[in-house]
Amino acid sequence: MPDTRRAAVIGGNRIPFARAGGAYARASNLDMLTATLDGLAARFGLAGERLGEVAGGAVLKHSRDRDLTREAVLGSTLSPYTPAYDVQQACGTGLETVVAVANKIALGQLDSGIAAGVDTASDAPVGLNDDLRRVLMRLNNARTLRARIAALGGLRPGQVVPELPRNAEPRTGLSMGEHAAITARQWRIGRAEQDELAAASHRNLAAAYERGFFDDLVTPFLGLTRDQNLRPDTSVEKLATLKPVFGGPDGTMTAGNSTPLTDGAAAVLLGSDEWAAEHRLPVLAHVVDAEVAAVDFVHGGDGLLTAPVHAVPRLLARQGLTLQDFDFYEIHEAFASTVLATLAAWEDPAFAKERLGLDAPLGAVDRSRLNVVGSSLATGHPFAATGGRIVATLAKALHEKALHEKAQREKGTGRGLISICAAGGQGVVAILEAAR
Amino acid sequence: MTGLAPLYLRAAVRPGRGDALPDRDLVRTGVPVDPEHLARYARVCGFGFDGALPATYPHVLGHPLQVALMVERAFPLPLPGLVHVRNTITQERPLAVGERIDLRVRAERLAAHPKGTTVDLVTTALVEGAPVWLGRSTYLARGAHPSGAGAQAAVSSPPGVEGGAPAAVWRVDAGTGRRYAGASGDVNPIHLHPLAARAFGFPRAIAHGMWTAARALAALRGRLSPAFTYDVGFAAPLLLPSTVELRTRAAAPGWDLDVRSRDGRAHLRAAVRPR
Repeated sequence: MPDTRRAAVIGGNRIPFARAGGAYARASNLDMLTATLDGLAARFGLAGERLGEVAGGAVLKHSRDRDLTREAVLGSTLSPYTPAYDVQQACGTGLETVVAVANKIALGQLDSGIAAGVDTASDAPVGLNDDLRRVLMRLNNARTLRARIAALGGLRPGQVVPELPRNAEPRTGLSMGEHAAITARQWRIGRAEQDELAAASHRNLAAAYERGFFDDLVTPFLGLTRDQNLRPDTSVEKLATLKPVFGGPDGTMTAGNSTPLTDGAAAVLLGSDEWAAEHRLPVLAHVVDAEVAAVDFVHGGDGLLTAPVHAVPRLLARQGLTLQDFDFYEIHEAFASTVLATLAAWEDPAFAKERLGLDAPLGAVDRSRLNVVGSSLATGHPFAATGGRIVATLAKALHEKALHEKAQREKGTGRGLISICAAGGQGVVAILEAAR
Repeated sequence: MTGLAPLYLRAAVRPGRGDALPDRDLVRTGVPVDPEHLARYARVCGFGFDGALPATYPHVLGHPLQVALMVERAFPLPLPGLVHVRNTITQERPLAVGERIDLRVRAERLAAHPKGTTVDLVTTALVEGAPVWLGRSTYLARGAHPSGAGAQAAVSSPPGVEGGAPAAVWRVDAGTGRRYAGASGDVNPIHLHPLAARAFGFPRAIAHGMWTAARALAALRGRLSPAFTYDVGFAAPLLLPSTVELRTRAAAPGWDLDVRSRDGRAHLRAAVRPR
């Protein structure tokens, strides 16, 4: 076993994200993931190449999509000798696949791999009514005619109503937005600052597209060349006219400062520095470290989406860094209020002491370094695809900055922090560092 | 596309026909590709849906023109009961949703066959005047012997695979013909219902050859270069329902494949060759 090494982020590919029921309404998770892998393979000359592995996943998954990622590999131009497996950790799925592949590369178990994620809200699974399913399973297991008749006796007319997927927490019955609204109120996050964050996300994403930042990160798909949710002309004034959708009539969360349901897929190519060099591929950044956390949002009074608040201080402590030691911060915009509550918690002395066990709060984040090329409020958020989107985006932003600094003989920290909150009260965070 | 049913009916009852092929092209410009229709076709045939047209799909786009040519009074062979015996597709690159596609169809090679007479319907798909896709469909009219038929053409069908473990086993259900008819517009009655098939001498309904060809090609997704020729020889009809086996073998370069019943009877032998 060699000493550990840092996995290199070589590049990424995603399809533009589409609004649910929009441009990708007829595409399945398998279609989108296969197209995304094919796009990555085309960009980096990987057709027919056997990679170490592909880790991928989806949050909303049909039962027929068992081993979705392997099926996508088999349908792609990658070598069929490339193994693959599925990961699922709600909105943390995409970043978790990056961590999984990067760790194997770090340990020398892999030289190369792809981390990917996909989700569709347009082609979501609709299940049999659960009572009907139980009757059918009993019928299937019945060995005698009498047992079969008894099983059929369980049929009821109401069982024809299928189970539709809901964006709600099984244990609390509350939707993610309703949970986020509780946290927003708790941290007194105002409407205006949420709308400002949302407007900035659209402004930054539009500007990044305009200057060609996404030219080597995004491959057009089914007629889309940019994220369908992007509103380049939106403004704080326009956003201020929207009615609240979460938190009751006096709530602060609107359709404009909350992320809509979205379809899309993203993939990241990872490898050792040696593998990248052998394949004459550039290294944009390295994966430094990652941390996951979970909170007790059911009985413990924690906010559903606040696990990254706990994960980041642990990650910083392990790396001997402060929250200010970063050039870029990528905080996933599930809702504008989630980002703002996270920042508020890191600045709060009482919270640091009582909940994080720290003598002092982490402090403020330089907002000019936050989500500099837009984030989920503008791109949309196909759950499992968001991690791959952010890792590839941040790696490129770090690489760009490093090139600029070299030319200008300046020096930044070269580091970027990723923070992704997830359903189930979980969070995944990671540090990338520009390749030098 | 379901508008073809009246043409089949007209062709079935209309007496009298010519002895030679009409010497003209039928052309349709700016043929629209409906994403909804394409998605349905892809689902029925086992293709993914990513905005690229499967190589077998332009055949479906050109089919109404083929039928229109074959139901003309001068066309020497009767349309109902025509059997698809050979199909060769050549594409320079995959076509895509949103491209402006022009289609040209003409009939060629009226030729004697041991069981009757064959004719080739040649469909060309053009983008901005340049041919991107070409499909040659050979149909057999059993027992027909128009005087204008030329000498029998030398037919060398792809050899297929012959033996080895199957790459896939397909359980092809009784509704397959109706589903493909719905997705393709090819409503030839021999595919729709056992009774209709019996009227043309088949014991049960049979699968569309182009469905079998499409599904076999779909199995090679990810293994094909963008430009290739797909040459398919149709053998015994695939009676519905059936369980059949797909065999594939990497050729140098390209792929050989066949689809057989479990008793070994071949339904399709094909070759894919990169260009």
